[in-house]
Amino acid sequence: MKEENKRKSIRWVFILLGILFILLFISDLLLGSIIIPLKQIVLVFFPTAETNETFRTIILEFRLPKALTAILTGAALSVSGLQMQTVFRNPLAGPFVLGISAGASLGVALFVLGFSSVLVFGLVSVTGAWTLAIVAWTGSFLVMLLVLYVSARVNDIMTILILGILFSSAVAAIVSILQYFSNESMLKAFVIWTMGSLGSVTNSQLSVLTPAILAGIILALVKIKDLNAFLLGENYARSLGVRIIKSRIIIFLSTSLLAGTITAFCGPIGFIGIAVPHICRVIFKTSNHLILIPAVILTGSIVMLFSDILSQLPGMQTTLPINSVTAIIGIPVIMWMIIRNKKFTSVA
Amino acid sequence: MKLETRSNIELINLTVGYEQPDGVPLEILKGMNFTAESGEMVALIGSNGIGKSTLLRSMVGFLKYFSGNIKFNGKELNEFGAKEVAQIMSFVSTDNVRVANMTVFDLVAYGRFPYTNWIGKLTNNDKNIVEEAIEKVGLSGFENRLITQISDGERQRAMIARAVSQDTSVIILDEPTAFLDVSNKYEIFHLLQILSREKGKTIVLSTHDLNIALREVDKLWIVTENNNFQGAPEDAVLNGWLNQLFKNKHVGFDLQEGEYFFKKEFKAKVKVVGEGLALTWTLRALNRMGYQIVIQAEPDFYVFVNENSWELKLKKSTQVFNSIYQLLAFLR
Repeated sequence: MKEENKRKSIRWVFILLGILFILLFISDLLLGSIIIPLKQIVLVFFPTAETNETFRTIILEFRLPKALTAILTGAALSVSGLQMQTVFRNPLAGPFVLGISAGASLGVALFVLGFSSVLVFGLVSVTGAWTLAIVAWTGSFLVMLLVLYVSARVNDIMTILILGILFSSAVAAIVSILQYFSNESMLKAFVIWTMGSLGSVTNSQLSVLTPAILAGIILALVKIKDLNAFLLGENYARSLGVRIIKSRIIIFLSTSLLAGTITAFCGPIGFIGIAVPHICRVIFKTSNHLILIPAVILTGSIVMLFSDILSQLPGMQTTLPINSVTAIIGIPVIMWMIIRNKKFTSVA
Repeated sequence: MKLETRSNIELINLTVGYEQPDGVPLEILKGMNFTAESGEMVALIGSNGIGKSTLLRSMVGFLKYFSGNIKFNGKELNEFGAKEVAQIMSFVSTDNVRVANMTVFDLVAYGRFPYTNWIGKLTNNDKNIVEEAIEKVGLSGFENRLITQISDGERQRAMIARAVSQDTSVIILDEPTAFLDVSNKYEIFHLLQILSREKGKTIVLSTHDLNIALREVDKLWIVTENNNFQGAPEDAVLNGWLNQLFKNKHVGFDLQEGEYFFKKEFKAKVKVVGEGLALTWTLRALNRMGYQIVIQAEPDFYVFVNENSWELKLKKSTQVFNSIYQLLAFLR
C-alpha cells in the first residue's frame, strides 16, 4: 500500500518537473538581450506572413541550439555524475572532482594550443567538431582508465578523490605552460573555451553533440540493473552475477563519452554532476536507477536551462560565463548536503 | 537450465590464495578436502588471518583457485557462468551496506537480481518470494523501513533475507555474527539453522564465535597452518582439535565445559565448601582472580559459601562478607 503511494508521488513529481521543464525551455527561447513575445514561438515553427524574420533567425540560429545544448549538457553531466557516485559509492564523486573533465580539458588544450591555427579555425566545421570531440573523449577516457587502475589497487575512495584533485591541478599547470607558448588569438580562443559557453555550439556541432550524448545515455540505461547492484558494493554485485570488469568498462565509457563531449564543446562546467543527483535523491527518495536516471536527466536539463536564463538576464547585452553560474547554483547545494549529512558513509 | 535441488559441495585437494600486488601468487591454504551435504550447516573455523575469507571468496568464484577442485553437485565451479553461480550460491559478506533511501524490501529484492529482466522489474512471484524471505528472518512489518535506520542485527537479518530470496541451494556467509551482541549472535545462528533444516539449504559460514558454533552447527571445517579437519563439532573436541587451534599457551579448551578459557598463573590454592549456584559462581570468581581451586591438596585458605554470606578462613583469622564482590575486594 505504501509502495503504491510512493509510486504515485513519484509520478506526480515527474509531471511537475516536466511542466517546469517546458516552461523553462520556452522562457529560454524568449528571454535574452532581445525579449521575444510568446506568440512568435508558434509563428517561428509554423511560419505565416506575420512571422518576424529577425526573431526567426534569433530563435532558430541562436537560441534553439543554445537551449538544446543546455538540455544535453544538464542531462549528460548529471547522468555521468550519478554513475560516478554509484560506482565509487561516494557522494562527492563526479566528472569534475575525479579529473574526468580535466582530462578532456587537457585533450582540448593540447589540440587548440598545440596545433596549427588551421585546425583551430576549422573547428566550426563538422570535421573540426568531430576532431574536438575525439581529443576530449581520449583525454577523459585516459583519466577514467587511470582512476580505474588506481581504484583497483587502492581501496580508499578518499585517496582516489585526492588523486583526482591533484590530477586537475597538474592539468592546470600543463595548460598554463601551453598558454605561455601560444600566440594571442589561440590564447583568447582557449580562455573563452575555459569559461564555458552553451552559446558557442553551432547547429553543425549539435549534429555531433546530440548522438554522442544519446549514446552515452543509452549505455547508462542499459546498465541500470548493474548500477543498482554496485550500490551494495563490489562483493555483493559480483555475488548477484554482475560481471564487474565488463560492467565497469561500459559505465566508464558512458561517463567519459558524456563528460568528455560536453567539456569539448561547452568547456569545463562544474558542480552540475555532483549537485543534480543529490537533489534528485532528496526529491525522489529512491536509490533505484530506473527512476534516478530519468530523474537526473530531467532535473539536470531544468537546472541548466535555468542557469542559461540567468547567464543572460533579460535586457543585458553581455553573457555571464556559464560555469560561474552553475558554480553559484551548485556549490550551495553541495555545502547544504555536506552540512545536512555530516558524515559521508553512505551514498547519500 | 534446471539445477538439481540436492546440493553437494566438495573441495578436493584445494589450494587457494591470491595474487599479490606485485603479481606473485601467494598460496594461503593448501590441500583442503572438505564436503558439505545439502541441509547441513557448516562452520569454517581457524585463527585470525589464516585465510578463511580467501577460501570463502574462492568458493563463490571471486578468486581463482590455484589447484584442486571446487565442485557443486559434481560439476566444477569454473564451468558455471557468473549468472549460473548467482543462482546456485548466495553470499553474505562483512561489508556494511548503508545506502540512502533504500528500504528493507528494496534490499531483500536484490536477491531476485539474477532472475529479473534488464531493468530489474519484479514480477508478482518475485514479490512473493521477497515477502516470504522477509517473514522468514522475522522482519515482517519492516519492509518500508530504511536500512540506514535499523539496528546492525536487523540489517544483518535483512542481508540474510536477501540471500534467501536469491533462492540458491547454498548460502555462504563470511563472519555473519561479527559486530553483533550476544543475543543477536544466537538469533542469527538459530535462523541459519532453521534455513538449513527446513529449506534444505547448505550453509557454510566462517565465525569466531566458537562457543556458539560448537553448539549450533552440524559440521566444522577447521583450518590450521599445517593440516585440516572436518567432522562433527564433538568429533573435533574429542580429537583435540580445539586445543590446537590457537598457538597460544595462555588459551586452553575446557573439555568438560566445551568452552575456551584463559590460562593463568595461580597465586594461591583455595578450597571452597558450599553448594548450588552460589558455589558455582564463587568458584568462577576465585578462578578469575587467579586462585587455584583444590579438592584433595592442602589449600592456603578456605572459603565457606553459606546462604547469604561468604566466610573466608585464613590460617589465623576468619572474615565474613555479604557479597562475592566484597570477598574479592578483600583478597585483592
